[in-house]
Amino acid sequence: MNSTDNNARTEQMEIDASAKWPVLVFFGSAILWLIAGGALQLIASIQLHTPSFLAGCAWTTYGRVAPAAQNALIYGWGMNAAFAFGLWLMARLSATTLRHGGWLFVAAKFWNIGVTLGLLGILGRFSTSFELLEMPRFVTLILLAGYAMIGVWAVTTFSIRNTENVYASQWYLFGAAFWFPWLYAIAQIMLLKAPVRGVLQPVVNAWYVHGLYGLWFIPVALAAAYYFLPKILGKPIANYYLAALAFWWLVGTTAFAGGSRLIGAPVPVWISTLGAVANFLLVVPVVVIALNLFGTLSGRYSALQSSITLRFIFVSILGFVLASAFNLALSMRGFAQVVQFTLMTDLRDWLIFYACFSTAMFGAAYFILPRLTGKEWRSTILVKTHFFTTALGVVLLTAGLAAAGWQQGHLLNDATVPFGDITKVLTFWFTFRSIGLIVLLIGHLAFLINFVWIACPLNSRGTPLASFHQPPDLSLPNPAKAATEGHA
Amino acid sequence: MSANSDKDFHLEQGGASDDSIQQVHAQLQKQKPDKANGYSFLPLGILGLMCTAVFFGSIYLAHYSIRFDPLVVNEHAKREKPGAVVATAVPPAVLGKKVFSNICATCHQATGLGVPGVYPPLAGSEWAQGDEERIIRIVLLGLNGPITVEGKEFNNVMAPLGAALKDDQIANALTYVRQEWGNKAPEVKAETVSRIRAELGARTAPWTAAELLKIGH
Repeated sequence: MNSTDNNARTEQMEIDASAKWPVLVFFGSAILWLIAGGALQLIASIQLHTPSFLAGCAWTTYGRVAPAAQNALIYGWGMNAAFAFGLWLMARLSATTLRHGGWLFVAAKFWNIGVTLGLLGILGRFSTSFELLEMPRFVTLILLAGYAMIGVWAVTTFSIRNTENVYASQWYLFGAAFWFPWLYAIAQIMLLKAPVRGVLQPVVNAWYVHGLYGLWFIPVALAAAYYFLPKILGKPIANYYLAALAFWWLVGTTAFAGGSRLIGAPVPVWISTLGAVANFLLVVPVVVIALNLFGTLSGRYSALQSSITLRFIFVSILGFVLASAFNLALSMRGFAQVVQFTLMTDLRDWLIFYACFSTAMFGAAYFILPRLTGKEWRSTILVKTHFFTTALGVVLLTAGLAAAGWQQGHLLNDATVPFGDITKVLTFWFTFRSIGLIVLLIGHLAFLINFVWIACPLNSRGTPLASFHQPPDLSLPNPAKAATEGHA
Repeated sequence: MSANSDKDFHLEQGGASDDSIQQVHAQLQKQKPDKANGYSFLPLGILGLMCTAVFFGSIYLAHYSIRFDPLVVNEHAKREKPGAVVATAVPPAVLGKKVFSNICATCHQATGLGVPGVYPPLAGSEWAQGDEERIIRIVLLGLNGPITVEGKEFNNVMAPLGAALKDDQIANALTYVRQEWGNKAPEVKAETVSRIRAELGARTAPWTAAELLKIGH
């Protein structure tokens, strides 16, 4: 069997071929940023328990490294990975090729140059004071220009689709393509271009940060979950008729949920109350989405053993449910009184970004990249290493940061405990976090090596070629049969 | 039936074509799968969850938004509008003044000094400030015959007011009398009036001063 025959059987070969280079460039940059951001994050974490570490140079002090790490992960890894996955899936589900992919190279260059300059700006003392908007102002236009092309490509691909129907993953991707520029542009204008005054600034900032997580990263992760479960299991989504309700409800309430970050802060109290109510209303879509996704997995958990994509998607769904529960808990005033401004609030964002979003992107990469390159993943051990370090890291960091935040909150609320003592107690937890981050970094390096072997033209010669079967058609569940089985 | 039989994770095989995923789900979205028999609990459960979330969410919002006032940062701040009319408890003596002016002041006068030789005074009176057991009985059934008040003799009839006034009206009026014009005696409770009214049973005859002096101290 030669490779031409194999490729002829590949499902939707032309689409994958058209998406190959843009998606590879986005995934490649994403993984490099993942490593770089992870390293910066590790440095920042180490400095919290060993303050002398790299403290001699202004560029590597905590105040610069910590925001640089966060920006590298969010805008470098997160956005690039979302672009790669989103463009590919949009093309696949719209049954149309990704046209004029060369422009996406330009867009990728703009975006990554923007992120690089932004990070250098942060490290070189030009950062702003707003969370996730620390990059200096001049970078904004470069990023928006880069995004404009990517967003337009996703939307045009959708609008020239060759399919009659639109699937749930497309709702989320199409929506996210509009929500990110909306959030980013408004936050830039209201905070940096023509700043609103005083107390409104943290409100706008909280709205942006919450929106970026809730209306960009979560929708992209859900698009992956809704696509890969039926795709790999060969089974339709359970109770799919509820999915549209969950989508609209999620979108409608998430935009109002940002205020919940400001519980206890000196802002008009209705803003944080509205945020708490929005987080409470989010229980409805979370329950529906959990019914959809876990309902589809139900009875088929054995498939997790043989599919690395499903494993990552499974972690992602768990991360989504956990992050939503955490968001709700942090909206409760009694709980927030203890854990607000502790490691627990870091954990909330990390759960969404890493446990939910990043794992979904890993799963997607393991599915997509062999299709783009026509090659197999070379090392089983590295794939397994990546999965187990990710799963272990998620468990360790979730449990560790939750316990640490709880303890920290109680100590901070106790006026008799001197602040220095709290710092000493937390040294253990900061060390714990560094270990967790090292575990994750090992997995990311394993992923990088496998990526180079499959995608880099110079290094992938020894990688075996992939052979794909034409997947069968999905069939409707048979209600009559289900009913008879129920009676038996 | 998983599409991937190997556990080497070298590549993922698809278990369904993209086209069929879209078609099947488009059908599933239009109609929920028919149940051959019975009723599906799920849509009802989701509807219940939606209603519960909206209901409690609205109450919480109304409770802790403090009128969406931009200047309030504390969720436990007062929720009434500034300048709103608030019901406050009126002291019994103030309520009693109305009853006194309508009824008692006819004889005892608004000044509480009575009419010398005809109606005994209440201001400074040892009866008014004395045992509440006696004066409650006087108001309920009236008084007939001679009585000494502040060292002066009176001989007249006081009408029974027990049928005309409610227990709390009597208590309030007596409280007013006991705390006005320099009088200093504790408040009379409506419960005391009810108890004494019950103790009287079927008696309708007015009291005499001699009888009352045997009651209380």
